[in-house]
Amino acid sequence: MIQVLLDMLVTGLPLVPVFLGIYTVFRLRADFDLTVEGSFVTGGAVCALTLVHGWPSWLALLAGTAGAAAAGAVTALIHLLLRVPVLLAGLVMSIGLFSVNLHVLDTPTLSLGTQGTLFSGFGSLSGRQADLATSGVMAGVVAVVLVAFGLFLRTELGLALRATGVNARMARSQGVNDRRLTVLALVLANGLAGLGASLSVQYQGYADVNMGAGTFVAGVGAVLLGELFVRPSGSKLLRIVGCVLVGTLAYRLVLVGALRVGLPAGDLRGVTALTLLVAIAAERYLGALGGLARTLAHTTRSASAAVRQEAA
Amino acid sequence: MLRLDDIDLIYNAGRVDEVVALRSLSVTFERGQFVTVVGTNGAGKSSLIQTISGAARPTRGRVHLDGRDVTRLPDHRRAGWIARVFDDPRAGTAPELSIEDNLALAMARGRRRGLRFAVTARRRAVMREHVAGLGLGLENRLADRVGLLSAGQRQSLTMVMAALSAPSVLLLDEHLAALDPGTTATVLALTTELVRELGATTVMVTHNMDHALALGDRLLVMSRGRVIADYDGTEKSEMTVGGLIDRITGAGDALSDRSALIEKVAS
Repeated sequence: MIQVLLDMLVTGLPLVPVFLGIYTVFRLRADFDLTVEGSFVTGGAVCALTLVHGWPSWLALLAGTAGAAAAGAVTALIHLLLRVPVLLAGLVMSIGLFSVNLHVLDTPTLSLGTQGTLFSGFGSLSGRQADLATSGVMAGVVAVVLVAFGLFLRTELGLALRATGVNARMARSQGVNDRRLTVLALVLANGLAGLGASLSVQYQGYADVNMGAGTFVAGVGAVLLGELFVRPSGSKLLRIVGCVLVGTLAYRLVLVGALRVGLPAGDLRGVTALTLLVAIAAERYLGALGGLARTLAHTTRSASAAVRQEAA
Repeated sequence: MLRLDDIDLIYNAGRVDEVVALRSLSVTFERGQFVTVVGTNGAGKSSLIQTISGAARPTRGRVHLDGRDVTRLPDHRRAGWIARVFDDPRAGTAPELSIEDNLALAMARGRRRGLRFAVTARRRAVMREHVAGLGLGLENRLADRVGLLSAGQRQSLTMVMAALSAPSVLLLDEHLAALDPGTTATVLALTTELVRELGATTVMVTHNMDHALALGDRLLVMSRGRVIADYDGTEKSEMTVGGLIDRITGAGDALSDRSALIEKVAS
């Protein structure tokens, strides 16, 4: 059981930044950015390449982030200059990036060897202790990312970003330049994908040109799963980062559990799709129940507030 | 001073489905003037508002605000000077965001948005003060989602948001149209109070002839993308609702009627 949780952490934590990026576009901007399928690999590839060239692991992490962020910037440019939807721009990018990524890697799979990654110091530890140490380092990085992102959402810029997704016309009438924020959102989301990919690559010890396939759907599934537990909304920022964290780990738990039960790795995509369906179904049918519970809670709260006011 | 110079606003120019929203429109609004605008559907009232706010860019002509040519500035660049309240109560606020986030968004209007925190204790105090003036108890619900508010509350909040950054122009685009009679009275009272407080040039589009006559110190009647009548304070105070409606419907019928209208106005 502990091993299942450890597996969940070491494979799930690198995905938290990735899915946070997907949340940014999917929920905060109410849009779909498929670039992530390619930019995830771009981030991992750049990270792997820089590591092979002897860069320090932290720098390689940042390089991977920057590489993926650049891919997001290109998507934003396509969207703005050619006036096509982000969905289409991202789709084109996700296809085109495959070739770019292959050129960056120069081989379908680039192995890192055992030295020079964030986690290579743990090689001497036993399996479980190494996993523990690995997830500790990952948790540190993820915590920094989540806190920084939460704080960013509280700034004027972050607030403007949240507003454009809810009511773009209103945001513009309040002086928000939503074109600029589209660029920001896409750069940020893909940068986060690159960061997660870099963490993942350093843990796995290799980068693969196909490692991004299915990232988008997995991310959406994780977000929907997280929303079942945490119920985020535009101004509840703790819940936003909490939703991504819980959703990602729950999603990984399902996959790790499926592997433990003995399902072949080839079935994992099927499990991902099923998870997505279950999350959607639960949202549809349990959502009504949850809504009722929340209404009750709210009425009780306002009733008790009224009582308090009368008493005062 | 807000000046529209020979404005044409034409959609789908040169095509079969060409729509002329505004035609050779020239109006000057004096600083602090409160102008009401009436006209039938398609008269160009909302196009006038959009041209001033920057949401629509005129096909021809210039828009000047306080001596500056703002014709080419998009709406979000004009937002520092020009505040706008929409006809749909849901349009002016972000329902998913809290009351304080909505207000904070409005407070940063006209400034460059950076990495300062949007809601601080000091700003919250300012918000509370502004919202308390509404008498709706919203000052104790700053963290609530705006989506929980009624249409009237939301429109009142939008009015407060419009006033927060002391705009020099206030645009009210049928902002009472979607409210029930009771709420209309409340928001109307708020409107007159706010306009007086702000001293901003105010353009209020309305379908309600009573409001058009009772409020403000100038009345424009629009038809087919032009201003067909322009009454100043005294002319306006002598006007009756019946007379106003006659003029509007008269203008809508045929071009020849318009000259008759202008004679009537002159007499």
